[in-house]
Amino acid sequence: MEGGIKAWEGLKAVGAPEAGMAYFTRADRPEALIALAWLLEEGSRKFYSGLPVLVSDDDALKLFGRLAAAEEHHKSLLTGLYKSLTGGEPGAGFPGSLLGGEPKDDTMEGGVRVSEALAWVKGKELHDVLELALSLEANSYDLYIKMGRAVPGRDSQEVFRLLTAEEKDHLARLGTLLDKKL
Amino acid sequence: MGVLDYFKPVSSMTAEEVREFLRNKAAGEYNLVDVRQSGEYERGHIPGARLIPMGELGERHRELDPDKPTICY
Repeated sequence: MEGGIKAWEGLKAVGAPEAGMAYFTRADRPEALIALAWLLEEGSRKFYSGLPVLVSDDDALKLFGRLAAAEEHHKSLLTGLYKSLTGGEPGAGFPGSLLGGEPKDDTMEGGVRVSEALAWVKGKELHDVLELALSLEANSYDLYIKMGRAVPGRDSQEVFRLLTAEEKDHLARLGTLLDKKL
Repeated sequence: MGVLDYFKPVSSMTAEEVREFLRNKAAGEYNLVDVRQSGEYERGHIPGARLIPMGELGERHRELDPDKPTICY
């Protein structure tokens, strides 16, 4: 690519080479990767669900509602994948029991704490909130591509391929809304 | 890789062309390689890029699918 990374004006992901975030290296088994992805999806769902009291723009609220529903759907996909891989239901301690307590259950895509992100959003302009959401989704997209490379078996890889495609769609929707509101 | 491979022409793309390419392709349809050092990668990389520092390319190029287009930066 001409100009290298300095010429790139698109979204970037941050984090260690192994993955989009440091927790990835602790999730060394496919079940743990699924648990990690599930936990991050739940965090993102809480984040998008918490935005309506902080944001008043109708278009944004509609999109955040769709994204919260999508994260719920992703959790279902991941639960299904967990069952098919292990042959059993996730236990009562899922997903934390597979992750050794880190990250905390208040963490969402991008490795950000939900409570901190929602606190940051208070009083911010809509474009700031959309840019935060875009950066979170970019890290998530990065993470799922890497998880897809790390999990064994076509079925598992297909689930992560689907999640990757959906995160890409979220990025496009958030980007379109940001363009519209600027 | 033989010595003649060093003389094969390599096409380049602008950042905008790369962005358009990535927008129209699924993540599994290409190799996207960051050839910088790990610290640079950690500070920011194109989502989905695989880190293979320049000095490791000779040994690790087999990690890339030769049947897919490869974009390096």
